[in-house]
Amino acid sequence: MEALRIEETEDTPKVILDPENNVFSISGRSLPEDSVAFYTSVFDWLQQYAEVAEKDMDFEFFMEYFNTSSAKQIAKIFLLLEKLNDKVFVQVIWRCKKDDVDMASSGMRFSKLLNLEFEVREEE
Amino acid sequence: MYCFFTNFPYLRNVSHFDFMEKKIEKEINELTLFEGLQREDLVYVYRGIFSQAITDSIIALTENNLTLVGESSKLKKRVFSIMVECLQNITRHQFVDGHEDVSGDQSGMFVICNKDNSYQMTSGNVVNKEAIPHLTELLEKVNSLDKESLKLYYKQVLEDGSISSKGGAGLGLIEMARKSGNKLFYSFEKINEALSYFYMNTSISQQLDEVPIDFIDIQDVVALHKFILKKNITLIFNGGLNQKSLMDILSLINEQALGSLERKKKTYNAMVELLQNVVKHGVKLDEEKMGGNPVIFFISQNGDDYVLSAGNYILNTSISRIEEKINFLNSLENKELDDYYVKCLLNFDVDNSKEAGLGFIDLRMKSCHKLQYEITPVNDTLSFLLMQVTV
Repeated sequence: MEALRIEETEDTPKVILDPENNVFSISGRSLPEDSVAFYTSVFDWLQQYAEVAEKDMDFEFFMEYFNTSSAKQIAKIFLLLEKLNDKVFVQVIWRCKKDDVDMASSGMRFSKLLNLEFEVREEE
Repeated sequence: MYCFFTNFPYLRNVSHFDFMEKKIEKEINELTLFEGLQREDLVYVYRGIFSQAITDSIIALTENNLTLVGESSKLKKRVFSIMVECLQNITRHQFVDGHEDVSGDQSGMFVICNKDNSYQMTSGNVVNKEAIPHLTELLEKVNSLDKESLKLYYKQVLEDGSISSKGGAGLGLIEMARKSGNKLFYSFEKINEALSYFYMNTSISQQLDEVPIDFIDIQDVVALHKFILKKNITLIFNGGLNQKSLMDILSLINEQALGSLERKKKTYNAMVELLQNVVKHGVKLDEEKMGGNPVIFFISQNGDDYVLSAGNYILNTSISRIEEKINFLNSLENKELDDYYVKCLLNFDVDNSKEAGLGFIDLRMKSCHKLQYEITPVNDTLSFLLMQVTV
């Protein structure tokens, strides 16, 4: 399946969903005015991919900041990944900077809500 | 860090709240008392350190605002060229020789407002007492010249080559007078035996007619300055708000020294939620006049805390819903708040471009205080909502 790539802007994150190279990641800042519109292409892609997925998947988040409306869309992505996990093994890696208490606790919160392998990885 | 990690027993102290509420009321009343701070018009005040990045974001924010209200590119160009001079003036002269640590009543200030059919820009910076006679002479000279003579004088100063160590020989002042077609109104206010504060105003008529503006009362700005010093306000933005101007205000905050990284992030987060709430739910008073939703936003410092205040119009029909929601959130304890956040996070019945239903909860959690708000009736359909968050 063809990869989805969205470049980062000042208020939307960088998205790479690339099965061929086995890279699945969302990173940067997410505070668009209309986050539903922004994440629609991500949902569509994941839904299509769920039909054809064969390989295990490491899904990486490395967020600098996201607003509350993006939080809801990220939660939706997690629910899709949970479904996908029935088919192939999905592991979420929630990366954050070591001193970023806010992003670390957001990751912890998501990990508790989900029935997925979920690693919060604090980095230097 | 979310506030459910810590305990704030004094939050249950009722008298504290009464005090806070009275404080808000007083602040809005005082703020709106200022002529020029009418809620519809652009008023933008920044006080603090001026760096390249900060002046860039001030310019970007103003540009966006002039575009939103549909000003001609000719007018915009003129406003910018003067703004740039004005901001450079503050940047160059914000530190009096040998004093790099400028704070409080000595920090620089820039004000732009849209008033009496003109854009009025005022710079404020500290000066040595010794500099006053020379500056006064220069300003009086510039103000005494007509358009042609100004041009000649500009050439003469340029050829003369008597450029001061800070790169200025009054060329900036001459430029400002030439581009605006107006006099430079100014005032010096004594700070102490050695220092004074220098206010200088340049205005451009919105009609771009060549009729000069006869008089600008610089004492309005002096009074505003006193007020923001008293309240320890570092930023006031009053105008149309959209996602673009929100991003410009945020970049301004990113450049500020707001203490620790954690504090900075908290302030940033709270601003996004507070202001995006206005972008999405704010109501316009006058559809014709303004792009974006009208907002008055200010940041003040209260001891170690930063207080963010945002005011916008709401429909009277939504008052009870908003009150109910805020009062409910204020009634929750930390653990309950977190549970409620999760419940709303996973409630996809409320999930559209306008609403995630999480903004106020997040603000309540991040602020570690109850949400302060006040609703003032405006007319039959609208009221004014002021929200205040302490981070």
